[in-house]
Amino acid sequence: MSSLGTLPDWAATAPALILLGTAFVVLLVDMVAPDEQNSVMLSGVSVTGALLALGTTIWYLLSGTGQPGAGDLDANGAIELFGGSLVVDGLSLFFAAIITSVVLMVVLASYEYLKDLPNQSEYYSLVLLAATGMVMVTFANSFVTALISIELVSLPSYALVASLKTNKGSAEAGLKYFLIGALSSAIFIYGISLIYVTTGSLQFDAVTAVFENGGVGELSGLLGLGVLMIIGGVGFKIAAVPFHFWAPDAYEGAPAPISAFISSASKAAGFVLAFRIFVDVFSYSEVTDAIDWVIAFQILAIVTMTVANFAALKQTKVKRILAYSSVAHAGYVLIALAALTGGADGAFVLGSGLAHLMVYGFMNTGAFLFIALTEYWDIGRQIEDFYGLGRQAPVACGAMTIFLFSLAGLPLGGGFLSKFYLLWVSIEGEVALLGIALVANSVVSLFYYTGIVKALWVEEPAGELEITQYPTGLYAAIVLAAIMTVLLLPGFGVVVEFAETAAGMVA
Amino acid sequence: MVGALAAGVPLFGPGIEAAELTALFPLLTFIIIVFFGSYLPLKGAIPGIAATGGALLVSLWGVADIATGAGPRHETLLTFVEGVAGEGVTLTFGILIDPLAILMLTIVSLISFLVHIFSLGYMNDEGEIDLPRYYAGLSLFTFSMMAFVFSDNLLMSFVFFELVGLCSFILIGFWFREAGPPSAAKKAFLVTRFGDYFFLIGVVAVLGTFGTAQFAGSESFVTIATEALETGATEGMTTFLGFGEQAWITVIGLLVLGGVLGKSAQFPFHTWLPDAMEGPTPVSALIHAATMVAAGVYLVARMYGFYVLSPTALSIIALVGGFTAFFAATMALVKQELKQVLAYSTISQYGYMMLALGGGGYVAAVFHLTTHAIFKALLFLGAGSVIIAMHHKENMWEMGGLRSEMRVTYLTFLAGSLALAGIFPFAGFWSKDEVLYETLVHGLGGSPVLLVAYTFGALAVVLTGFYTFRMVFLTFHGEPRSELAEDPEPVRWNVKFPLAVLGVLSVVAGFLNMGVLKDIIGEENLFLHEFLDGVTMDADLDAAGLSAHHYAEVLESNFAAGYEVAGLSPLGPGALATVLAVVPVIGAWYLFRGPDVDPVMTKLGGLRTLLMNNYYQDEYQVWLATGVTLPIAKVANKFDQGIIDGLVDGTGGVSLFAGERFRRIQSGVVTNYAALLTLGFLLLVLIFALVGGWI
Repeated sequence: MSSLGTLPDWAATAPALILLGTAFVVLLVDMVAPDEQNSVMLSGVSVTGALLALGTTIWYLLSGTGQPGAGDLDANGAIELFGGSLVVDGLSLFFAAIITSVVLMVVLASYEYLKDLPNQSEYYSLVLLAATGMVMVTFANSFVTALISIELVSLPSYALVASLKTNKGSAEAGLKYFLIGALSSAIFIYGISLIYVTTGSLQFDAVTAVFENGGVGELSGLLGLGVLMIIGGVGFKIAAVPFHFWAPDAYEGAPAPISAFISSASKAAGFVLAFRIFVDVFSYSEVTDAIDWVIAFQILAIVTMTVANFAALKQTKVKRILAYSSVAHAGYVLIALAALTGGADGAFVLGSGLAHLMVYGFMNTGAFLFIALTEYWDIGRQIEDFYGLGRQAPVACGAMTIFLFSLAGLPLGGGFLSKFYLLWVSIEGEVALLGIALVANSVVSLFYYTGIVKALWVEEPAGELEITQYPTGLYAAIVLAAIMTVLLLPGFGVVVEFAETAAGMVA
Repeated sequence: MVGALAAGVPLFGPGIEAAELTALFPLLTFIIIVFFGSYLPLKGAIPGIAATGGALLVSLWGVADIATGAGPRHETLLTFVEGVAGEGVTLTFGILIDPLAILMLTIVSLISFLVHIFSLGYMNDEGEIDLPRYYAGLSLFTFSMMAFVFSDNLLMSFVFFELVGLCSFILIGFWFREAGPPSAAKKAFLVTRFGDYFFLIGVVAVLGTFGTAQFAGSESFVTIATEALETGATEGMTTFLGFGEQAWITVIGLLVLGGVLGKSAQFPFHTWLPDAMEGPTPVSALIHAATMVAAGVYLVARMYGFYVLSPTALSIIALVGGFTAFFAATMALVKQELKQVLAYSTISQYGYMMLALGGGGYVAAVFHLTTHAIFKALLFLGAGSVIIAMHHKENMWEMGGLRSEMRVTYLTFLAGSLALAGIFPFAGFWSKDEVLYETLVHGLGGSPVLLVAYTFGALAVVLTGFYTFRMVFLTFHGEPRSELAEDPEPVRWNVKFPLAVLGVLSVVAGFLNMGVLKDIIGEENLFLHEFLDGVTMDADLDAAGLSAHHYAEVLESNFAAGYEVAGLSPLGPGALATVLAVVPVIGAWYLFRGPDVDPVMTKLGGLRTLLMNNYYQDEYQVWLATGVTLPIAKVANKFDQGIIDGLVDGTGGVSLFAGERFRRIQSGVVTNYAALLTLGFLLLVLIFALVGGWI
């Protein structure tokens, strides 16, 4: 069942183990040399760890670990560990690739951003621990492991958002994030307990088996409530309206690399859980009598897209615009769940969502890292402060233009094709209303994205604007993200193929 | 689908295998010249000559391959949109090399090669500036035409058809600092674009009807349409607007024909071509002989298997062609500038090709396309040589007596003129005669429309002989009528060499297909006919539906055009054509010989004024633009500005207002968030509770 050759099965969790190990090495380095200026060392270790994790993930993906074998197409090939509480399959590895890519860019960009700030080792280790949690979420195969992994993501994230301790906005954002997070976790756990009550199991496979063996009978109402509560819990992680309230504040208050991290990687982790639970466990055909959850996702998708995009229209701070755009993108990806009506091929529908998350991982991270760059330059947060930046920093602004247009869905980056696929999915799944909402909202979003591009290139700066420093790490991360965003346009076919293979394993 | 057309093993020679190079060489040259043109010796002429020379070698090799049994080749090179799971359309770029395509590739590369060499004399030696732009344009032009020629589907054809149009815009307007050329370039672009709208709709119609735009093969739209009519198996095609199959095929054919008429300058879209004389003369040669104008006729020949399905479309093609041949020839009678005469003669000659296609003479049309390419390129280059000699004066009344000073130019120009006039045994005689003969036999076979078209064509022969030799006598004979003509500037080898090559070809090219003598020499010695029939090939070109024989067979089938061939020896019509051509030449000699020439044509009075003003065609087209289109555009603009924009602005305003409301939801107070989150969740639960019947 394993195509690892001589490697044991547990080695399939290597991406998570590497991240976890790196987190401890970071702490160790800090313990051994606490007083010295060791930021090079810390970020070096973190970047190495992220690279290793990413490399391992890509190696697994390419060598077919946990995926349907080339010779035996019927075999699922997923590797189950610890009595089936963890599973490594194409879906987990695809998301692990997104997450580790984002982590790599974020730690790369953090080196200069954190200059002269205290508590760097804590920062790096928390990022790596949260990343470990995210990768664990992709492996989760029971509600228990899912919950623990989610909390492993959340707790470091709260601290990271508040990591600029002397900054009032950062501290406030951290607290808000924590409070809303606690509320959402409560809902999520309540939902899990209701599932347990109705099915008598927490293991995903076992829960599925209950539905396959005749359902839950009288308890279907209770099951429905439990499913809705799980939607609520997941909705918090992916920042879908109305569970999004923490997001604009947290993204804005947090250090920009952390905003990038949470809005890209954490969202991806939320989505992988949603995909696994709703496609695999509560598969539509089995539970549709108890609750038609597709309707719930349709409502959430439309409301999320619309509220977020319209709210972004009137924002004056660039980071906050991006925060809302990030919420809006959760709405777009939700189409992949909302179109699972059985009208279209499940793997195709889900694969399109996966592909969009992959593209989004690069373009959104890149855009937030550009904000990190402006914070590094300390030029201000209002859109007026960005006037004329294009002449001072053409490379970074060029990259930002690519990110923004790709986010809007113009054919400058992969965002064009992934949005197109989502539109296609909505038509195939006979939920054209979602497609209409997608297009209409993309048009609305074009307004505020172009506003930023205009500020960068067209407007004249109000005062003297002189940029003297060009931080290497930040630039490297931004350029990397830009290159990937552009490359995903011609290379989209490859991504979709991987995504559909991955999705095909659960759908 | 390598060799899917050939039965069994594909037999490619190296020339066919590498046919893409004919387009890739000029494309590479274009890129080189765009980036490094100003640093190159001779400003980019060398790579251009090398590329077109290389393309010529590849093409000739391809001809040899086909003549020795290889081909055809049909291969998809690039799929840029793929239909999912057999649904939707698949859009591709591909290459189709059959006798027709390889012949056209040879013509284009030959003419382009010679034009490049001639440009050394016409542009470099004359000290023109901006030459890299000129040579880059020529290369792109050649590339576009090559790719158009070997296109294996209609969409690809359309793409490169448009590129050809763009390139002619660039080159006609080369001297953009003067007033005339940019205006002429714009006119050429707009008039051809008008026709191309119909072509574009035609492409969409083909894709919508057949789901494919392939020209050849068992899955091609031509085959599907043929089968639909022949066997009634119509599941492959979807007609629209309640048309029957054949009627719908006619509609599509006519839509595509819109683009053809624009590009090939057929009535009423011919008005751009005389103005296009504002471009450099070598460009005129290229446009008229091998690229832009030839593209239209070539397209009809390329999808001839489709056109033969519709008698209506064929009749319209024949009528338009015959009428254009005659109509343009009348205007050529009175022109005073050398290149203007040639421009109208081009329109007229392409009319003949259309006449042949409409009249069922596929081989005749391709033959005339070939010979015309040679002698018209020759005439334009000869005119260019005269223009160099005359320091860019083009009025024939200021010339005269040039024959003694410019021997090479005179002799080659004379050969070209004899070919154009259709005098035995020059190239034009054989091809023009075959055009008329094919139209006549099909007309006598029971298609009176073709007889009308034939009459136009035959009358145009008389006019052609007259205006051609009026031009020759005015330019080269008599006494010099200006100081410049007394002492013309000498031209160098780079002008004489292309003229010599084309001059020889003008004399001998007709022997490719001596249709008049087919009863005497036997059909197997009609080389072009045999070549286009695929007789030389090992594969069965009939089965591929690309051979002349196949076209004739469909043409005469009752389910398709239903033409019939009257039994008639080609000798009689051939003799008639000779008489029709020789008499006006003698007439021209009588009127324009001698040292002092009377401007005889002024005696035509009001008719001459009408002809000089081109039947006021430009005037009515300008009126159509300003008197009809402009008011409609104004109304549309008002609608757009007032209602559409108003609606858009209104939406924007409402959106911003809504945005402000949504923004306020985010109050910043965390207890509000918790409350809203919980309320939102409860709302969701409530909806499901009500819908799901939990309560």
